[in-house]
Amino acid sequence: MAKIIGGIGTSHVPTIGVAYDKGKQQDPAWKPLFDGYKPVAAWLAEKNADVLVFFYNDHCTSFFFDVYPTFALGVGAEFPIADEGAGLRDLPPIRGDVDLQAHIAESLINDEFDLAVFQEKPIDHGCASPLPLLWPHKPDWPGTVVPIAINVLQFPLPTARRCYRLGQAVRRAIESYPKDLRVVVVGTGGLSHQVHGERTGFNNTQWDMEFLDLLQHTPDKLTALRHVDYVRRGGAESVEQIMWLAMRGALGTGPVKRLHQNYYLATTTAMTVALFEEDEAAAALGDPSSMASDQPIFA
Amino acid sequence: MNPQLQGIQNIAGTYIFDLRVSNRSLKLNKFFWSLIDSDARARFVADEETSMKNAQLKEEQKVLIRARDWLGLIQNGANFFALEKFARVVKMSNMQVYAIMRGESFEEFLATRQVPDAR
Repeated sequence: MAKIIGGIGTSHVPTIGVAYDKGKQQDPAWKPLFDGYKPVAAWLAEKNADVLVFFYNDHCTSFFFDVYPTFALGVGAEFPIADEGAGLRDLPPIRGDVDLQAHIAESLINDEFDLAVFQEKPIDHGCASPLPLLWPHKPDWPGTVVPIAINVLQFPLPTARRCYRLGQAVRRAIESYPKDLRVVVVGTGGLSHQVHGERTGFNNTQWDMEFLDLLQHTPDKLTALRHVDYVRRGGAESVEQIMWLAMRGALGTGPVKRLHQNYYLATTTAMTVALFEEDEAAAALGDPSSMASDQPIFA
Repeated sequence: MNPQLQGIQNIAGTYIFDLRVSNRSLKLNKFFWSLIDSDARARFVADEETSMKNAQLKEEQKVLIRARDWLGLIQNGANFFALEKFARVVKMSNMQVYAIMRGESFEEFLATRQVPDAR
């Protein structure tokens, strides 16, 4: 049976992709960012992950507002990397496993998660910015991707709770797939940033740290927040962090441990990567610290 | 009012992109979105006015585009992620657009950042 072996939260800032393509891995301004992904890439290689399920958003690239799906799952053996206005990147197409993608779509829809399905659409920086920092791409990617696009651009967005439940439904879908696949779920976006209006450049590191803590220990506190709460605390575009909740939902309701975290607020976005695994030892001990925390939410 | 957004009007300098805004500005955003196509980019660079006319933009929108008025375009209903396609075509970086939206020079904006060289 397929199994979720871990979860990753990662920013998807387009500049990361630009810096990567320009070979700025050793540039002093970028080294702290790229070095922060190395332990995650090493973990993925060591665990031989077969599949990355990416909860990401399209940035008005493959989807336009004439038809803008709340949730859309990609089906295809190949997805090109999108040209977002600056030309094509030197990356191979993202690979997909059609049978697995179709199974997940069937499972989700039979589970009353009626999402849209897309095929032959390019994938933009929502997934393609962090992907080469997680997986090597020469000569080709080592595994396949299940892209699940979430509307975080055009309100009404799905609620934080709905994203969490999507993750739970994806977990049921993966655990009912008969092939032995090692699956990692990835939530993208954030952390604090705003990139429109006079409030552009807003950040809130105190909230970012609290978000990471709540995500690990008490995600129900995050699913109770409204979109306006995310906008106020982390900046307008940080509302996309609801996609991290989809990842967290897919990790199950037991305790999780954070194996690695890197936080680098250089210019406008708090670029963050965090790696989680289910904490089976704590679960066996009935560790109450997992879902019972009482810590106040920073307002 | 969407209950998820209750109180949003009290957050200054923030323009929520909902269905009302999106419907009003659909042609403007569709015009920016079209620029992910390299031929459309070349046509715009060669003849901005014809590109804008073919996109059926309103005069007020054309004025904002001619002026590269980034904040004005946001206030007119541009979605930033559509708008940034236009920024690429006119060779503006997002950081330069951010500075302008804040009403700062590029140097002033960089001085507010922790690692201004990360761009």
